[in-house]
Amino acid sequence: MMEPLGWGGILARAAVQFLPVWIALAAVFAVSIRFRRRLGLYGKLFDSGIGMAGFAIVMFWVFTALFAGWIITHDPLAQLSGMRNVAPGTPLASAEGLYPVYLFGGDSLARDVFSRMVVGAQRVLAIAPAATLFAFMMGITLGVPAGYFSGRLDTGLTFLANLVLAFPVILLFYLLVTPEIRATGIPTALAAILFLFPILFLTILWNSRFFTNPRKRSIYIGVTLAVGLWAYSGLAFNADPLGVFAMDPNLLNVFVAVVFVNAPTVFRIVRGLTLDIKTRDYVAAAQTRGEGPWYIMLWEILPNARGPLIVDFCLRIGYTTILLGTLGFFGLGVSPESPDWGSTINDGRRLLTIAPHPAVVPALALMSLVLGLNLLADGLREESLKD
Amino acid sequence: MTAWDPSHPLLEIEHLSISFFTRLREIPAVMDFSCSVMAGEAMGLVGESGCGKSTVALAVMRDLGRTGRITGGAVRFKGRDLATMPDEELRRIRGREIAMIYQEPMASLNPAMKIGAQLAEVPMIHEGLAKAEAWARAREIVADVRLPDPDRILGAYPHQLSGGQQQRIVIAMALMSKPALLILDEPTTALDVTVEASIVDLVKALGEKHGTSMLFISHNLGLVLEVCDRICVMYSGEAVETGAIGDVFDRMRHPYTQALFRSIPLPGADKTTRPLVAIPGNFPLPHERPRGCNFGPRCDHFAAGNCDAADVPMFAVAGDDRHETRCLRSTEIDWAAPAKAARQAQRARVGEVVLRMEDLRKYYEVSASRLFGGGETRVVKANETISFEAREGETLAIVGESGCGKSTFAKVLMGLETATSGRILLYNQDIQDTPIEKRTTDTVSSVQMVFQNPFDTLNPSMTVGRQIIRALEIFGEGGTEEERRAKMLRLLDLVKLPREFAERMPRQLSGGQKQRVGIARAFAGGAKIVVADEPVSALDVSVQAAVTDLLMEIQRQNGTTLLFISHDLSIVRYLSDRVMVMYLGHVVELGTTDQVFSPPYHPYTEALLSAVPIPDTHVQKKRILLEGDIPSAMNPPPGCPFQTRCRWKAQVPGGQCEREVPPLVTLAPGHQIKCHLRRELLEGMEPVFTIAAE
Ligand code: SF4
Ligand code: SF4
Repeated sequence: MMEPLGWGGILARAAVQFLPVWIALAAVFAVSIRFRRRLGLYGKLFDSGIGMAGFAIVMFWVFTALFAGWIITHDPLAQLSGMRNVAPGTPLASAEGLYPVYLFGGDSLARDVFSRMVVGAQRVLAIAPAATLFAFMMGITLGVPAGYFSGRLDTGLTFLANLVLAFPVILLFYLLVTPEIRATGIPTALAAILFLFPILFLTILWNSRFFTNPRKRSIYIGVTLAVGLWAYSGLAFNADPLGVFAMDPNLLNVFVAVVFVNAPTVFRIVRGLTLDIKTRDYVAAAQTRGEGPWYIMLWEILPNARGPLIVDFCLRIGYTTILLGTLGFFGLGVSPESPDWGSTINDGRRLLTIAPHPAVVPALALMSLVLGLNLLADGLREESLKD
Repeated sequence: MTAWDPSHPLLEIEHLSISFFTRLREIPAVMDFSCSVMAGEAMGLVGESGCGKSTVALAVMRDLGRTGRITGGAVRFKGRDLATMPDEELRRIRGREIAMIYQEPMASLNPAMKIGAQLAEVPMIHEGLAKAEAWARAREIVADVRLPDPDRILGAYPHQLSGGQQQRIVIAMALMSKPALLILDEPTTALDVTVEASIVDLVKALGEKHGTSMLFISHNLGLVLEVCDRICVMYSGEAVETGAIGDVFDRMRHPYTQALFRSIPLPGADKTTRPLVAIPGNFPLPHERPRGCNFGPRCDHFAAGNCDAADVPMFAVAGDDRHETRCLRSTEIDWAAPAKAARQAQRARVGEVVLRMEDLRKYYEVSASRLFGGGETRVVKANETISFEAREGETLAIVGESGCGKSTFAKVLMGLETATSGRILLYNQDIQDTPIEKRTTDTVSSVQMVFQNPFDTLNPSMTVGRQIIRALEIFGEGGTEEERRAKMLRLLDLVKLPREFAERMPRQLSGGQKQRVGIARAFAGGAKIVVADEPVSALDVSVQAAVTDLLMEIQRQNGTTLLFISHDLSIVRYLSDRVMVMYLGHVVELGTTDQVFSPPYHPYTEALLSAVPIPDTHVQKKRILLEGDIPSAMNPPPGCPFQTRCRWKAQVPGGQCEREVPPLVTLAPGHQIKCHLRRELLEGMEPVFTIAAE
């Protein structure tokens, strides 16, 4: 049996475990800095210290999630006897074939905190960006027309958005995940609506662009509809005939809730940007050559709103991450065993005075990811305002 | 403070160099710039955008931002170096002795504060004046800048005033502290011509009254001629010529100055008597400046081995007072030689009538208060009874200031709006009620538009080639992708852009190049009628000539009808066959270019002509200043639209002008005027321009 490790030893061993991440980070940075002059806004990010720091933190967690299988030292669900609430760096009692030490200690069920944190990153990074993306699809698909057409449509949609925004978020979550409400089928119905937007968005996008070339249009729209509807049947109704796309009903609820509360804010941002951009001459030029409104909205206006939207996207992933953490913390919508950061913090909370590490480690992870996303957004904003 | 002797320059800039530092490199913005302004003198600083003229002004204010730094030379105000002065003292001088007026008046006004309070604040802070005294001073100065009803103005918020009034307030604010030096950075660029003329007149009068020295920055040579005593021409970060106004205008000694003068149209001349000569090539980017003379690559007198050997210093011009030029060959060049004759442009053959408007009206309804909508609605009469016809191959200029209805007119013609009443006939086909979605591709592609702002006319996130190809796709040109690509490249040839530009993004193009792409896009579907909405007004003068020529050349080749919307009468005179003058939605005068530019005039045309600044010392202008601003189209005056500002109104008996809209009177074949004035009076009008015999 080996000696308990000191902090230096713990960190050194953790660093070794993260080796794949370091290699990947180094590669990405080397390539990006080498070619940054040709990479547009992404390349300019490497001119800003803040942006680079943010990007590094975010990419650290992205790679951690990707290489989680190599990084973890133990099965995140395995409970090893004698390891309950042990301090960081405690060696295993009998380390046959196993990694000899719990790097960040053990939790109240004697599971490895380090491995749970790594796998938690996987969970968080799978849900947060995807949910944010869906929120953006919805916000954009409704926000651009609201800004472009103005009038009744705008008034109606803005009213709806404000209505959702005025509703307390946590209460909304509670409602969406309570079994009684779930039994009414409201979350599924909402999911059915929300998941329709990306398909709608892409179909309109291709149609407005390629209607002058029917063959190309048919191919693009055909592929979009086939893949989209297939995924749709699986994700929204859990009825994928091939069983590739499926979503845990718990997760579906969380997903729907997150999209639902984020979309109105995105809607408002997009609407404001559209109101500004639609007065530009190139929009007038498109109108005078007889372009349809959807082409103008999606190909003339939207691409030029991308700067602020990308910045908001980063911030919003951070916000969603916290939201997911909060949900997990309240034990909402995720299975009790789940290693996601929010639930882990909640689990560790009860024994905070005896063994703080099970709660502190995921809390720090969560914090650093959100910090990274914010720094990244700041860097992007700063660089996109230049020149 | 040490006493300063007024016989020395008030502001003295010596060998000033300014650079901006970015992460990548140092960008020299101004090099070896010297000039001096004596007490009471007005110095004009002219040059194209990016030549560094505004940077000089900012350096005087020591307001170069975080990245700008003075890298050499000195700026002395009353003999003291501003660059090394402590901040405390600098702040005092900035508010009290040097004042600056910017292009955008709202940038200098606090939108949440009443005008009176903003004005009174200045002497209260700087001189510790009591409140009552400060307000009295504010009132006095508001009257001084010729604003009507000072008490109402003092109690108003900035947004309640028009652009011209705001700019007057900014001038008033600058004058509150009785500065010794006033820096004006393009103070009238955002304003209409007639308003500009009255502001310029005001600035000049105030300068004389208070003995204020001025540094007047402008790209408009005509304005500088009207306001300034001395001029300094800048090119690519350097002063290239400086001297007294008369010397530089009549005996220029630098090829750039001469080229600049030759590239701007004068309202006394048209394309046959004085063809425009564009300056070849492009303005060098700061980090791509050539060795030796910066103007070398574009100079007609360039001598290899001499001009590109070393940096060129300033040389004094013999015989003139403080007249200097940065040209090595100024004594060798034959300055009187006429410009190399550009290809004589014949006018296009004018053919059939292609477009006819009859009694077109466009009214908008706006609800007076949005909150309680549905109540009172007001009608904005954007266009009133417009009738005219345009023929194939003809250029019809539509002239007017903001609010005259020219953009509404364009919108109705393009089909973005439908007419309230009247007819638009395109090849004898009624289109007034057909919005653009319902028009056939043919109709849409035959009426196209070139837009005003080059920085806005192209979609910033699409390559140049894609944008043109998209227009081709929409107009159904070319069957396959390859054909369209080939056609796009031919269009680039047509507008004289290199074919590589197809892959570029709009931000990599200069303003003039973007405007060329805009023209190529408009002609993608073989347009028969092109509405050009101020296509060159946002471009630098040396580029304007080239783009104008290009438009006319394409017009000649294709027999296109050009509707040229502009407020710049010089360029209108230069290129148009007929002119239509609009004011508040009415056509007030319509005739051939010669008819409109010589008496009898409509009273508004007369004032408009007189407001145009002319960069030619030989042209004598009759000064006609219009009172007040253009009335709002929401609330037009009864009777004649121009009656609130007309100086001839008294000549019409019985107050008829205030009661009845005058009829359109035909004075000569093809020349119509909307005015009650009797024919003898109209015919007795004097010409606005007289050319002094040399
Ligand atoms: S120095 Fe030479 S190149 Fe420069 S302006 Fe004079 S003649 Fe032209
Ligand atoms: S009708 Fe009367 S007010 Fe109108 S332009 Fe003629 S003279 Fe002036």
